[in-house]
Amino acid sequence: MTDLLSNLLMGFHVAANPYNVLFCLLGALVGTLVGVLPGIGTVATIAMLLPITFGLPPVGALIMLAGIYYGAQYGGSTTSVLVNIPGEATSVITCLDGHQMARQGRAGPALSIAAIGSFFAGCVATVLVAALGAPLTGLALLFGPAEYFSLMVLGLIFAVVLAKGSVLKAVAMVVTGLLLSMVGSDLETGAGRMTFDIAELADGIGFANVAMGVFGFAEIVRNLELPAESRDIVKAKITGLLPTRQDLIDSAGAIARGTVLGSLVGILPGGGAVIASFAAYTFEKKIAKDPSRFGRGAIQGVAAPESANNAAAQTSFIPLLTLGIPPNAVMALMVGAMTIHGIVPGPQVMTKQPELFWGMIASMWIGNLMLVVINLPLVGVWVSLLRVPYRLLYPSIIVFCCIGIYSINNSPTDVVIAAIFGVVGYWFVKHDFEPAPMLLGFVLGPLMEENLRRAMLIARGDATVFFTRPISGVLLSTAIILLIIAALPKIRRRRDEVFVE
Amino acid sequence: MSERLSPSPGGTRPGFALNIHNLIGGLIVAVLAVLFLGFAFYEPNAVIPRFLSAALIVVGIAIAIGFLPVHAPRDLYGGLALVMLATFALIASADLPGQRGFAFGPGTAPRLFSFLLAALGAAVAVGGVFAEGPPIEKYKIRGPSLVIIAILAFAAMIRPLGLVPATFLAFMISILGSTEMRWIESLIAAAAMTLFCVLLFVYLLNLPFQLWPRF
Repeated sequence: MTDLLSNLLMGFHVAANPYNVLFCLLGALVGTLVGVLPGIGTVATIAMLLPITFGLPPVGALIMLAGIYYGAQYGGSTTSVLVNIPGEATSVITCLDGHQMARQGRAGPALSIAAIGSFFAGCVATVLVAALGAPLTGLALLFGPAEYFSLMVLGLIFAVVLAKGSVLKAVAMVVTGLLLSMVGSDLETGAGRMTFDIAELADGIGFANVAMGVFGFAEIVRNLELPAESRDIVKAKITGLLPTRQDLIDSAGAIARGTVLGSLVGILPGGGAVIASFAAYTFEKKIAKDPSRFGRGAIQGVAAPESANNAAAQTSFIPLLTLGIPPNAVMALMVGAMTIHGIVPGPQVMTKQPELFWGMIASMWIGNLMLVVINLPLVGVWVSLLRVPYRLLYPSIIVFCCIGIYSINNSPTDVVIAAIFGVVGYWFVKHDFEPAPMLLGFVLGPLMEENLRRAMLIARGDATVFFTRPISGVLLSTAIILLIIAALPKIRRRRDEVFVE
Repeated sequence: MSERLSPSPGGTRPGFALNIHNLIGGLIVAVLAVLFLGFAFYEPNAVIPRFLSAALIVVGIAIAIGFLPVHAPRDLYGGLALVMLATFALIASADLPGQRGFAFGPGTAPRLFSFLLAALGAAVAVGGVFAEGPPIEKYKIRGPSLVIIAILAFAAMIRPLGLVPATFLAFMISILGSTEMRWIESLIAAAAMTLFCVLLFVYLLNLPFQLWPRF
């Protein structure tokens, strides 16, 4: 316990460094901005801003990127409540009751309860990340190559099962990502694999190029196809920002339950913030005395999902920081960011770079505080941003992405590769393939291959080692059972229903 | 990955039913597979990809002439494209040495993943033959192609012309992709965005960009 406190103290020391506070603020502001603007997702933004963080010190860069992620969870709720368009996938469900509250002239309480819930969830999740960090890291140190390989398989399977759409197609996407990650020099022999003697491919397909193409460019192209949406912004002035005493009493339980649920779902691979918010809403509706109030402006329907998505956004850092395994696409991007700064994500981060680990955790709390302070007074500013038409927004995003990709290696070829992945991503959408599992596979590919090779070498070519070693065996069997359960017709129908709702 | 199809109606009748969308789609699959077969014969060790390509040709022709019913075109063509990607990867990694003793060679993992992908892609495609599914959404040409052209133009211009012209022109090309474009507004926005990017990347982040064309 004293260890935890002294570690957290060190973390706050790092995070309170003026530069790091600035990066945290910058991240939180940018995150809110993207959260507010529909049509720009978190993944795309983090991919876009990756190049910018290269020049920063590693701690500052990661603090800023983390800020974007949880900042977006805050921002998304603003658009949901005021415009009835979710700014982020995580706040889709907030539209239901949040916008109804705004219609009834209670936009202020809806926004402030969302912020208060998020802040509470953020505080709890910060403590949770700090508390679970050390024991999980200890566990990770027991892992050999076989266990790591099995853990990654389990992580990927989780991501597939908890994603929406066909399980088979999602698995196919993961393998596509794994295959694409094989391009480039072989780790052990240095032989060029599938490079066609293109110099730029010798180091593999750039991670940022893939992410930017599949998420950034493809998303823009996709949005261009949709008819111009009418943005029906609540015109009435937002009065009475603060919730009443009754509002606070009503939502306290919902916030607590949302936080617990969100924290749990966030740790699971593949879950992340989207599922957390859906699960929390469904749960609140189930246990409510009068479920019919939901969808007509029930404050619990805002409080629970908003707390849950923020808690999940933060606890999803746990598998990344302790085991080095990204549980969702955003965390996959964080792996990219860490690798670029020469940090190998995993248990050794905590022991070798304690400032980074604890500084990042402490910065999450500071960031959450800043978000409450900046968000509520700035609601008007964020809403006015929605008046920027998309026809001016998307070309700006495109040139910004282009410059960003080019600046990583000063290589025009990288820009071309990103363009190709833009087309590929567009094609994916047309054929109902989810790009997120591919990105996860792409990030984990080299790690998986390395551990697979090592495990096989240590076991002298005996492939049963993955099942005979106890931890590895349990992990792999869990993965197989999960896959079978997800493929059962009954469960599949239930799963589809959850995503439809 | 390149078939550009207009929507094909969900289900076609069994038997030989010619359908223009499936004719185009099937032919694209077959033609690409013929190309792969050619590559595969060029590589000495690519025996399995030869069989895969041959199978793809047969499937492509079967779809084109309507012998193979297409019930879920998104899945069928999606799955076939993944099989093609796997075939291509197998051809590309055919020259890499494989397993020696217990040790994996550089080619082992790529081939492993390729086989897995081919199997999964085939499973998705089979589902597209038997299960009903929605038709493929219409591919839009104007927006996407102008966005891609803008990105490619940026890549082509950044070295010879420098940051300022490349950014400005890429902005203008991509904005043409919108149906509600207005000239004056766009020119002002392009200039503003160019200024912003120059300030951010060159002055704030100190990245070594060349701003103007060098003569």
